Amino acid sequence: MTTLINQNPVIYEASAQNSTREWREDDDNEDSTDPIDAQEIFDLIRSISDPEHPLSLEQLNVTQRDHITVSDENNSVLVEFTPTIPHCSMATLIGLCIRVRLLRCLPSRFKVDISVRKGTHQSEHAVNKQLNDKERVAAALENSHLLEVVNQCLATAT
Amino acid sequence: MPRLEQLAELQGHEDRVWCAAWHPTKPILATCSGDKTVRIWQATNAQDPTQWQCTGILEGAHKRTIRSVAWSPDGRQLATGSFDATTGIWEKDEDGNGDYECVATLEGHENETKSIAWSKSGALLATCSRDKSVWIWEVEEDNDFECLSVLQEHTQDVKMVAWHPTEELLASASYDDTIKIWRDDDDDWYCSDSLQGHDSTVWAIDFDPSGERIVSASADQTLKIWQRYKPGNPQGIVTPRRGEAVWKCVATVVGHHDRCIYSVSWSHAHGLVASAGADNTIRVFDIQDYDKEILTEEQIKATNEPGTLYQGVVLAATKNAHGTSDINSVAWYPSEEHGDWLASGGDDGFVRIWRIIRD
Repeated sequence: MTTLINQNPVIYEASAQNSTREWREDDDNEDSTDPIDAQEIFDLIRSISDPEHPLSLEQLNVTQRDHITVSDENNSVLVEFTPTIPHCSMATLIGLCIRVRLLRCLPSRFKVDISVRKGTHQSEHAVNKQLNDKERVAAALENSHLLEVVNQCLATAT
Repeated sequence: MPRLEQLAELQGHEDRVWCAAWHPTKPILATCSGDKTVRIWQATNAQDPTQWQCTGILEGAHKRTIRSVAWSPDGRQLATGSFDATTGIWEKDEDGNGDYECVATLEGHENETKSIAWSKSGALLATCSRDKSVWIWEVEEDNDFECLSVLQEHTQDVKMVAWHPTEELLASASYDDTIKIWRDDDDDWYCSDSLQGHDSTVWAIDFDPSGERIVSASADQTLKIWQRYKPGNPQGIVTPRRGEAVWKCVATVVGHHDRCIYSVSWSHAHGLVASAGADNTIRVFDIQDYDKEILTEEQIKATNEPGTLYQGVVLAATKNAHGTSDINSVAWYPSEEHGDWLASGGDDGFVRIWRIIRD
């Protein structure tokens, strides 16, 4: 077996299996134009599996609700994530998984920016640039091997 | 007020439209898409630019996204650059059923081909790729293409290549934030200048009609105008390499686009510049007066940089030109005849034809 990049990650307690967001009056009304908020984005991505460990991004504290900025009005979403270690070579893959998840679940009007949290990765600039280059993302998703890996990580997303 | 008026919406692509290219002489548009096809569009009646039909589909040759499409200068052939790393050369089968056929496939790039461009004479073809290289191909008889040179000075993906409008001089734009100028000395191609100034990926470049200026579009949300200074230029710009011109940024157009700019087109009919990108807006700039803000001779001597920040005059700004989708391509009609036409392609899979109304 290959050596894990981070052999002993710190594990955090995940919130309840279901959404941590409180039920709202109009949740069952499909016609309602309930604005999308950070909690909703967090719920979409927190159960994505880490590419290395049988753990979710939430359990590894890679994603946190407070590191998500949403403006429904301006159709913009910014997700900042925290790699478990500063030299994590999986950072781009994790970011890609988050991007694909949101690509599949959010209305297409949203412009999504994804970046590693400032100061949490040694190649922060390079990782961010790659994750936000739509051409590279489009090409990556035509790579069947890579897409399979992404889909595996997304299989646990609920 | 000048404005863009939509003439037509062309529907047919089943995925995002990456690039739109006008035929060099006829009112025919080619567009390519993530659906792995190129569509050819033609006005049903040359007098009525509101009715268009799809008169051809180029398909089957590329296994992945077609990222760019370009007509040969005589309009007889099309080149397609695909994420499958190849470049296709297509011709209309005039003797047969009139379908477009792939008559040659250029292989060599290690991964995605991003852009292709024919030189003005049609004798050369340039391609570029995520493999960081730019290839120069010589067009030979019988649909043979010989690779003359593999240029490897970019340190990252090369996003776009564009030929000078009259000379055998090539410009390339890259993810490494630079633009490079390539020339040949007796078939020996070399990098004659590297243009630094953008703070992020340079997605697109276009020459002005004279070929003395280049406009570039970047993920840093600015456009830059670069001017060529030949040795002994009256402005006193230093040209360090013997006999070699230098390109200097003379203006940075700021304060308009607020996300990545993916495409820019400098009209050869009227000199207006159109740009568009991830902020869903097509903007038309009049940048003729940029040099009014150029620094004084003393300032140039002090910095050897004539450039300055510049607002430009926005003649028209069409928000949500493709709804809430990114706009990946804008292209002015190449000649006077329909010089007021602009084509655009977006992530919504639509192609739109616009007309600039200047009153």
